[in-house]
Amino acid sequence: MSSETPFKIDVPDEKLTILHAKLELATFPDELEDAGWTYGPPLADMKRLTERWKNEYDWRKHEREINEELPMFTRDIDVDGFGALNIHYVHKKSESVDAIPLLFCHGWPGSFLEVRKILPLLTASAPEHPSFHVVALSLPGYGFSEAPRKQGFGANQYAEVAHKLMIALGYNEYVTQGGDWGGIITRRMASLYGGRYHKAWHTNFPIAVPPSWKTPLSFLSFLLTPWSIEEKAGIERTKWFRTKGMGYFTQQSTQPQTLGYSLADSPAGLLAWIYEKLVLWTDNYNWSDDEVLTWISLYWFSRAGPAASVRIYFEMHGDCEDIGQNPTIPMGASFFPKELVVLPAAWLRKSNNLVFESHHKTGGHFAAIERPEELVRDVRKMFAKGSPAFAIVPGRTGYA
Amino acid sequence: MSSETPFQINISDKKLSILRAKLELATFPDELQDIGWKHGPPLADMKRLVERWRNGYDWRKYEKELNQELPMFTRNIDVDGFGTLNIHYVHKKSKTVDAIPLLFCHGWPGSFLEVKPLLSLLTASSPEHPSFHVVALSLPGFGFSEGPHKPGFAVDQYAEVPHKLMIALGYNEYVTQGGDWGFVITRRMAAKYGGKHHKAWHTNFPMYMSFSRSLLIHQLISSLIRADPPSWKSPLSYLSYLLTPYSAEEKAGFERTMWYRNKASGYFIEQSTFPQTLAYGLTDSPVALLGWIYEKLVTWTDDYKWTDDEVLTWISIYWFSRAGPGAAHRIYSEVYADFYYAGRTSHPAIPMLILLPSKWLRSLNNVVIESHHTSGGHFAGYERPEVLVEDVRKMFAKGGPAFAIVPGRSGYA
Repeated sequence: MSSETPFKIDVPDEKLTILHAKLELATFPDELEDAGWTYGPPLADMKRLTERWKNEYDWRKHEREINEELPMFTRDIDVDGFGALNIHYVHKKSESVDAIPLLFCHGWPGSFLEVRKILPLLTASAPEHPSFHVVALSLPGYGFSEAPRKQGFGANQYAEVAHKLMIALGYNEYVTQGGDWGGIITRRMASLYGGRYHKAWHTNFPIAVPPSWKTPLSFLSFLLTPWSIEEKAGIERTKWFRTKGMGYFTQQSTQPQTLGYSLADSPAGLLAWIYEKLVLWTDNYNWSDDEVLTWISLYWFSRAGPAASVRIYFEMHGDCEDIGQNPTIPMGASFFPKELVVLPAAWLRKSNNLVFESHHKTGGHFAAIERPEELVRDVRKMFAKGSPAFAIVPGRTGYA
Repeated sequence: MSSETPFQINISDKKLSILRAKLELATFPDELQDIGWKHGPPLADMKRLVERWRNGYDWRKYEKELNQELPMFTRNIDVDGFGTLNIHYVHKKSKTVDAIPLLFCHGWPGSFLEVKPLLSLLTASSPEHPSFHVVALSLPGFGFSEGPHKPGFAVDQYAEVPHKLMIALGYNEYVTQGGDWGFVITRRMAAKYGGKHHKAWHTNFPMYMSFSRSLLIHQLISSLIRADPPSWKSPLSYLSYLLTPYSAEEKAGFERTMWYRNKASGYFIEQSTFPQTLAYGLTDSPVALLGWIYEKLVTWTDDYKWTDDEVLTWISIYWFSRAGPGAAHRIYSEVYADFYYAGRTSHPAIPMLILLPSKWLRSLNNVVIESHHTSGGHFAGYERPEVLVEDVRKMFAKGGPAFAIVPGRSGYA
């Protein structure tokens, strides 16, 4: 007796009316001469997007498309100490009966919608590659999932929700794919549920610490090994992120509600806050205006409201930085050059059971949107015949 | 032939109705249980303030009061490389003819408004204490001053404007009082114009910022307080630093500083890196602006009993500002791009007064007088006007270290 209910997005008319009323009143700052992207999204972009959102953009059309493309559901998941949260998720099975159950986990400012392009590819049946039954949840506080109502909902809780969802769907053993918070959360899942339930994890957001002087040989090698061109570029990118890109992170980790008042009251404010990331965190991805507006609308119309989505930073602060306990289950890592933190793969190999890695020449933070074929190719390779993670879920090779 | 024009605040009816229309549509987030101030201003505060702002708060009443109490003007100030900016300022003379010309310089999220409780005290004539002719400008981009239109308007430029304003007003020699950005700016004024024009400076926000080329390095070497401790490079200082026990007050100071660094720096980093991203929300939503600034008004003050109308007037000045609510905080990104603002070479030699002194600061500045207070916070002039004015008077008093520092202007009746 599950509480699973089929779900279709159906934003009430009243919400659309309020959005339009606010957009009608939208007021803009000026801009310094030749500012470009130096200080944030250019004024011209913002005006164009806001104008479209107000007039031509047809939310109902995109809502309909999402409903048609993505089989969605909700069900209650009980979280220790937090009661039941109603969780929204996409669930699509492959035609291959013994496809590998895979949980796709988004981050911020992402959403369940990031599974859109990879879903048909992951579930596709073929004799040449493994296929997957895919579950893509909306994390608590995102999309159409309920948000926690009290403090202390951290990495363990997010991991618990995702894990319990897979179990509830009958996937006693499963693998995961995640980036951003999805990478952190699936990593925590691997630590908590790895081996018995969680069999392997793939991430496009590989994080690692450099070898410390406490392991002298590694450290020496770290000091002496010259960096490759890609590694140098990765370090530059990382430096950029750490010196220029941490404003949102610091604000959201310390005073999320202060920011929340802006995100909840101003669609233009929400648009700017997220659109900045959509552009700066991707590798020259050609966002269409409607793609952007649908992405932002999901935040605007989210069940818990946009302010709830940033609380994860506060709750995880200090917790997720504990790299300490490395999971032991097989790990796969895809490196994209315009990810936010791009560190030498050697650091990852030392401290994880890394069975698969790939290095791409293009692509950024939102790999599932920017490079869906490459990402899926990586995941398939990780679980392919002859690979260390082949048939890691017993009885589920995923081959047609 | 000056361009000085008397100025009265007169916000258009249209602006008032746009504000009201937006407040009518205000939508709020939910809130976690028992969260209090942990994540920012509590929802109940925000709803109450927004409701009052929408219905009950009378801007015209406070606009009239400001116009009556503060003699205000605008004039054009030419800034090298940036053209002319029309600058808004308060200017009130003491009845004492040879009062000391004093520039009061606000910061963020402050404004010229902060001079209001200080004005009559500073200008008051008496045989017992010095008095001052007071000039309180709105920094470019704040209040009713024009904002710069191109990038690169950094500390030198922010210092140039008030200096030129004092000169334009006939105050060839002057002293300053400033906190927050007012500290940084008056410090630069001291470095550039000190001795000849700028004769002494008082601050309620003493800091020494480490010179660094990146936040990473800054984090590595910067100290507990933004006044760096002596480094091992100057062994005697360092030894003294290691051996000297810290007072209870200093320990409390460290804790407060750690709180700021760990819990309250988000605005600083966002404003230093992506001010325009932030500007869109602050310009479109009065609720956003209220939340962003109100958080500081409460967490940066020492239990100051803000009335709702006081808060709303403060925020309204930002909302109705000439350059718009998204412009003022560009100062963070423009200055941060210019690491010279830390200026190892620009230790001013002219006398300064500091509150909450650090032994570390004395070695870098010509500190002539210090005072410690057991209460009060960031907006010192606003929270403790009598106390601040008393300090300033002491600094320039007969027998004081900066008496008659402006020749011919002892300030005594």
